[in-house]
Amino acid sequence: MNKLGLIIAREYMSIVGRKSFILMTLGMPLLFILIMAVPIGLAWLNDKGSDTQQIAVIDETGRYAAALKSDDMYNFVAIKGDTVTNAREFYDKANGSLDAIIIIPRDVDSTGVVNIFSEGTITPALVSNVRSILADTIESAHLAAMGIPNIQEMVDKAHVDVDVRSIKWSEAGGEQESSTDIAMGLGLMLSIITYMFVLMYGAMIMNSVIEEKTNRIVEVVVSSCRPFQLMLGKIIGVGLVGLTQMAIWIVLLAIVGTIAGSTLGVNAMSSPDAIAAAGTAVDSGDMNSFMREVMSINYMPIVLNFILYFIGGYLLYSSLFAGLGSAVDQASDSSQFTTPVILIMLIAFYAGMACMENPSGPTAVWCSIIPFTSPVVMMIRLPFGVPFWQLALSLVLLFGTALAITWLAARIYRRGILHYGQKASFKDLFKWMK
Amino acid sequence: MAYLDINNVVKRYEEHTALAGVSMQVEQGTIYGLLGPNGAGKSTLIRIINRILAADEGTVTLNGKQMTDNDITHIGYLPEERGLYKKMKVGDHIVYLGRLKGMTKADAVASMHWWLDRFDLKEWENKKVENLSKGMQQKVQFIGTVIHRPPLLIFDEPFSGFDPVNAEQLKVEILALRDQGSTILFSTHNMASVEEVCQQITLLNHAQVVLTGSVDEVKQQHKKNIIAVQTPDSIEPNPALYTLLPPDPTKKHDTYIKLAQGVNVRDAITWLNEHYQLTGFTEVLPSMNEIFIETVKSKNTENNE
Repeated sequence: MNKLGLIIAREYMSIVGRKSFILMTLGMPLLFILIMAVPIGLAWLNDKGSDTQQIAVIDETGRYAAALKSDDMYNFVAIKGDTVTNAREFYDKANGSLDAIIIIPRDVDSTGVVNIFSEGTITPALVSNVRSILADTIESAHLAAMGIPNIQEMVDKAHVDVDVRSIKWSEAGGEQESSTDIAMGLGLMLSIITYMFVLMYGAMIMNSVIEEKTNRIVEVVVSSCRPFQLMLGKIIGVGLVGLTQMAIWIVLLAIVGTIAGSTLGVNAMSSPDAIAAAGTAVDSGDMNSFMREVMSINYMPIVLNFILYFIGGYLLYSSLFAGLGSAVDQASDSSQFTTPVILIMLIAFYAGMACMENPSGPTAVWCSIIPFTSPVVMMIRLPFGVPFWQLALSLVLLFGTALAITWLAARIYRRGILHYGQKASFKDLFKWMK
Repeated sequence: MAYLDINNVVKRYEEHTALAGVSMQVEQGTIYGLLGPNGAGKSTLIRIINRILAADEGTVTLNGKQMTDNDITHIGYLPEERGLYKKMKVGDHIVYLGRLKGMTKADAVASMHWWLDRFDLKEWENKKVENLSKGMQQKVQFIGTVIHRPPLLIFDEPFSGFDPVNAEQLKVEILALRDQGSTILFSTHNMASVEEVCQQITLLNHAQVVLTGSVDEVKQQHKKNIIAVQTPDSIEPNPALYTLLPPDPTKKHDTYIKLAQGVNVRDAITWLNEHYQLTGFTEVLPSMNEIFIETVKSKNTENNE
């Protein structure tokens, strides 16, 4: 094995062999699941734990109270409208055994207003429940009152959900259906992955550089190999650690997805047959069109470009972190150098968010061409389709800059790793680059 | 032809010159002392030999050939500031350093076992470096330096951090390596160890060579014509031949005399022997420590004037 290979292997093993890596790799998805599951679980417990609410319904029209059906959460008790003169008195007389009183006024057909009274909290769930039930019932009653036969069916037939499909014309003249929402979601996901990866592993490289410098092993190592080999070995080694971590997460996701899919009775959506089957099984056509849209995106160029930008962006930022890390003696001194880098990353991230609404606007185009922001911003634009010349220009600039930065970082690194004592300033770094 | 030939090496930094034309010849199979106060340029010179830094001018040849990056496999380097990867296992660490120097895995593993055995560290092979005592870590570092049996060894302050017992063991190992044909460049402040192990020395001060030669030669050059005379009598001064020096309270039987200009030892001793009852005499040579301090101080005053 050559020296670069040895350095990569050591760097890789030194991180992957750590307990913290294993904990972190398995812990992150768990944490994610917890973050999503805890609110749902708590809400469920909240509903389950509360007693059934006693709700009196005073229906002055005498026609609609029956529509409100009692269930575990609400027990609706219809009260004849004329027996009650004052809702407040009635509530007080009940001595706390009532949670709320719903009054359906006589003129509800014309005003469409229903009141709920209570001394306690009226939950949004109750309000929306009552609203939807009464709206449907009153609407049906109105239709029936018109005295036209089969009116209900006619209305149902006339009811239309407008589905706006975006169809993209390719230059070759073909048509392709695309979904804005899905493109947006995909772009957001890719840019967040790039952003997180670069920041997380950039910091890891920096720590590794500082550690070698602090425990003084670095001078022994660079007496056996060129400093550039050591730096490159670190960058590649840590990059491989990141890829390993991602691969583990993807496998975990696939396992969890399969298990969840089979328990929910939905087949894993791996083949078009399965999708079609799922589409008919799940009664609404929404699922079908969703899947059609998901499938409609041409993934090959997106994946290819994602990989290219990912490598370019990682190389750019990780060598920056390695160069800067070499200039400090201990991790606590590193913030003066990392702050500007993190700031640039943040700007790239916010630029990406801002470009989501209009992925072909001038800000989006420029930010996806400038090398420091392009790895994140271009991810947002990719699913919407990007003109070839912009992609080409952006990639050439990204890789050109990444190589230039790696070269400069190597020059800083070469001097920095042997620099102890006095804290280096940005001025020193520029001197070292020469 | 010297094994390691450093010829007029210059290294400049933005603010200062670290080496202003340094030349030095190290013969094969010898231990060569590179001396000098802090900041004299020793570390820079060592880093240039190790090809960690590049010289601005001058040449470094190894075995008659201009050094290239590939030659670093022929060097073992123990820097003054030492360290190891704390989380690595002792055995893996040594093998890693050996393989970085171009050994095959099998060779490195075999050599690692041999050296761990020699230093009684066998049971520590699978322990992490951070669990070792400081002295043991120093030994591991030494093994990492010599594992690939390099023909040229560079030790920067090798004895610092060792207790006397371990320092002695280390000295024995270094002498053994020399006897097996290794050439050793030895950078230190510890003048006692220089006298014990070095054949040749070079003293650097302010980026320049101020003194060079074999230890004996240097001592002869710097002798002050002082003689310790052993006699029960009390010697009177004789300005024509010598002056008396203050006695050394730890050596009651010695009287120290400094010969006058142009007087040789034989004349003085003959005269003394005629007038006093001499039991013996020895010429007092200066210690390397004295020579070091004297040379550095005198150069510094020269520079200040």
